[in-house]
Amino acid sequence: MLSTTWHYLVGHWSYVGQLTLEHIRIVFLANGLAVVIGLALGIFVSKRGREGLAELVLYVAGILLTVPSLALYGILMALLKALGLMSIGLVPVVVALTLYGLLPILRNTTTAIRGIDPAMIDAGRGMGMSEGQILWRVRIPLAVPAIMAGLRQAIVMNVGIAAIGAYIGAGGLGQLIFRGIANTRADLVLAGAICVSLLAVVLDVTLGAVERLSMPRGVRKEGQG
Amino acid sequence: MIELRDVTKVFPGGTRAVDGVTLAVHEGEFCVLLGPSGCGKTTTLRLINRLVSLTSGAIAVGGQDIQQLRVTQLRRRIGYAIQEIGLFPHMTVEQNVVTVPRLLHWPKAKRRKRARDLLDLLGLTPAEEFVRRYPAELSGGQRQRVGVARALGADPAILLMDEPFGAIDPITRERLQDEFLRIQREIRKTVVFVTHDIHEAIKLGDRIALMKEGRLIQHASPSQLLGQPADDFVRGFVGTDRTLKALRLTTVHEIMDAEPAVVGEEETLAAAQREMDSRGRSVLPVVSTGGVFLGWICRSASSETDLVPVGGRITPYLVLGSQGMPLNEALALMLESATGTLAVVDEERRLIGVVTFDRLFEQLRQTYAERVASEVES
Repeated sequence: MLSTTWHYLVGHWSYVGQLTLEHIRIVFLANGLAVVIGLALGIFVSKRGREGLAELVLYVAGILLTVPSLALYGILMALLKALGLMSIGLVPVVVALTLYGLLPILRNTTTAIRGIDPAMIDAGRGMGMSEGQILWRVRIPLAVPAIMAGLRQAIVMNVGIAAIGAYIGAGGLGQLIFRGIANTRADLVLAGAICVSLLAVVLDVTLGAVERLSMPRGVRKEGQG
Repeated sequence: MIELRDVTKVFPGGTRAVDGVTLAVHEGEFCVLLGPSGCGKTTTLRLINRLVSLTSGAIAVGGQDIQQLRVTQLRRRIGYAIQEIGLFPHMTVEQNVVTVPRLLHWPKAKRRKRARDLLDLLGLTPAEEFVRRYPAELSGGQRQRVGVARALGADPAILLMDEPFGAIDPITRERLQDEFLRIQREIRKTVVFVTHDIHEAIKLGDRIALMKEGRLIQHASPSQLLGQPADDFVRGFVGTDRTLKALRLTTVHEIMDAEPAVVGEEETLAAAQREMDSRGRSVLPVVSTGGVFLGWICRSASSETDLVPVGGRITPYLVLGSQGMPLNEALALMLESATGTLAVVDEERRLIGVVTFDRLFEQLRQTYAERVASEVES
């Protein structure tokens, strides 16, 4: 079976490549949106006095993650249709993955921004920095590695979930899997699964490197010393 | 100049952290807020730069009511240093030091120069190398220096320091205190310094404000605080060894016998003996023809009939004092020395004075009483 899978991959490399690109496009679109929303929301709820709101938002994001993806696709299709939007294909899948990707990014952003050593904030205030200056010059630069870690987690997780998106016509590597199931072709299912896993591993390693580079230099040294 | 008038802070929950404190810190004065933990000293400090808001009373900085200024504007005019953890780890030493100049939009070239000047002043040399480093690459003492440099960043007239030397080892702390005193003599800032360490307070402060449960108990010079404690709390806080602590406030120069009896190395033992008898001493310093201190000649080494020079019978010295040495150190050296007497020498090791136990006791009692009296009058 492994050898038929191998032959399939070699024989259809340009088709598999195209599916991979589609897959990447879905994941990146969704996580791009998740970063923008997660950061904005994370910064918003991290302000002093909004601890309750932060708890609530994180709770909701946590619940979203427990909804099975197939069910979420179904709910979104109905919702989008009611709103008169494209209810099949790329849109519901990207929206669903955005919601899934939100939690790790949001959680890491708020924890990092709120977790900065209070003495540092005290020093910043005492020297006459405004709250905005403290946010942009101290809190966010120090939170970047944690935010990157959240993004990485979200992307790797979404590579797997995106495969199911093929079921509602979003394309991507999931197509191989569903075609394999429909035609009882185990080699197709395996080819799809291998490609999804490989993509997840490659993205994980690459983003891990980016995460290390995103660490402010002084902080990286602290870790080593 | 900082003026606190009947300042009170009640925290939500009802804690009276500061209770009716009236205090003036004059220009160029080093004022230490001292007291046990929870006495309100840190809150008092933070009221000055409005990190804590006033409940009642008024604070003026340089004649201006702090409530009338924009809070960021007020803080940018006041240097603020806390324990080393307040440095920004993602910024270089230079970026840390010029935090306030940057907030004040100083031109880049001026900021660059300021950072280097400050690192030079704080002894972080070569400054050109330190500017590029990150806080994590520095030792605790170096980080604290950067913290002080940062507080001095925009050359504020006022410095607020909250236990800035609290988190470092005792040896480094002593050295930083010494250096900070040297720098303060040069830059003459108005300093408010919080500590719970009585030794640090005595060493650094021109005046000490001792607090307890939010109230100011005694505001006085170190010698007054030690010599005339206002009540039992102060007496207990300064400790039963307060007289020993007061030794730090006087230097060798103030009490030494500046015209001591000496014996030349080529004089005879008999002559040395006669000198001891006439002076009522059992030990005398021996000097060379150039006045350089060589050691001691003791009564046991001489005899009335000996006509040999003292040069061969010298008891070598173990310790030497200098003019600027505080008396607590001098006393420690005298306890170590073989003769119980301390020779005070200059840089060329020429003898310029002698301190004996008798002299220490006598002079100390006198100058101490005088100083306290004169300060009470003024």
